[in-house]
Amino acid sequence: MTVFISGGAKNGKSTLAQNIAVSLGEKRYYVATMISTGAEDDERIRRHIADRDGMGFITVECFKNIMDCLQTADKDSVFLVDSVTALIQNTLFPAEKNYEIDIDAANRCADELVEFAKTVRHVVFVSDYIYSDAERYSESTEAYRKCLADIDRRLAAVCDTVIEVSAGQPIIHKSRHSERAAGESKNPLSFWEDGSHGALALARDDRVKGKCE
Amino acid sequence: MVLIIGGAYQGKLDFAKETFGITDADVHTCGAGEIDFAKRCIYMIEEFTYGHPDPIGYFKAHREQWQDSILILQDIFCGVVPMGAENRAWRQNTGRLAQYLSKEAIRVSRIFCGLEQRLK
Repeated sequence: MTVFISGGAKNGKSTLAQNIAVSLGEKRYYVATMISTGAEDDERIRRHIADRDGMGFITVECFKNIMDCLQTADKDSVFLVDSVTALIQNTLFPAEKNYEIDIDAANRCADELVEFAKTVRHVVFVSDYIYSDAERYSESTEAYRKCLADIDRRLAAVCDTVIEVSAGQPIIHKSRHSERAAGESKNPLSFWEDGSHGALALARDDRVKGKCE
Repeated sequence: MVLIIGGAYQGKLDFAKETFGITDADVHTCGAGEIDFAKRCIYMIEEFTYGHPDPIGYFKAHREQWQDSILILQDIFCGVVPMGAENRAWRQNTGRLAQYLSKEAIRVSRIFCGLEQRLK
């Protein structure tokens, strides 16, 4: 099962992604993507680590080329990649080159993310939705938005499930059975269907009918 | 008329091409000037509304000309209220135009990461 999640900041994307990852399998990796640039980032990383505490994730650090993870991690397990945004940012504006824009590197990073989605058994990608505001951005910011949007679209096209999170509520844009996970009876989204998520399961059924592939 | 909305770079025009057989020759890409309603697909309407005093009035005045069109509009009205008065007016006028066009449309599709969410 491959899952792509996006949405606004602090809307519950990571929490949802963690819950899905936990439901997908026992052996799970958290792919840590963020390069800390100071105290604020350290605090965010600390909060994310605390959130995952006890959920059984093995942390693998990967700041740029996602396929490198597989040198140490087992591809037949669950991967939580949080976030695609950080990977694109790290490659598009490389710290070691004084943050000078490198679109080719970002495109290679995007290619690897698609390859990763096609290689591993289960993966949950988290991205950020930054495309709907009334602002004239600088050229480099527009390049960043376009690079991230391009990879979002490519991942949304290859992933089995695509979810937008708004105020903690999932909107299902795509949901299909994974070919790779065929034969596994477990429904990875089943935790939605318990009492606390009954309404979400209903919303999903309404929207997805006729769209399942 | 079909209205396609969504964020920047989400694949709105690609969706129009795939779904309605639009080619580049069918597309008018908006700027500050007049809209060429002879084209089947009117793209980047948010560029037309930028700095325009009355976009709804303009569309109402040309109502007969876009009844069979595919209109594509970026939903620039979801973010933070901008500091500059011009961008604030742009954001509000574009939001109001989206409501007007949405009422007139026989179909409204929102594109998210290349995927259609049918709103109407």
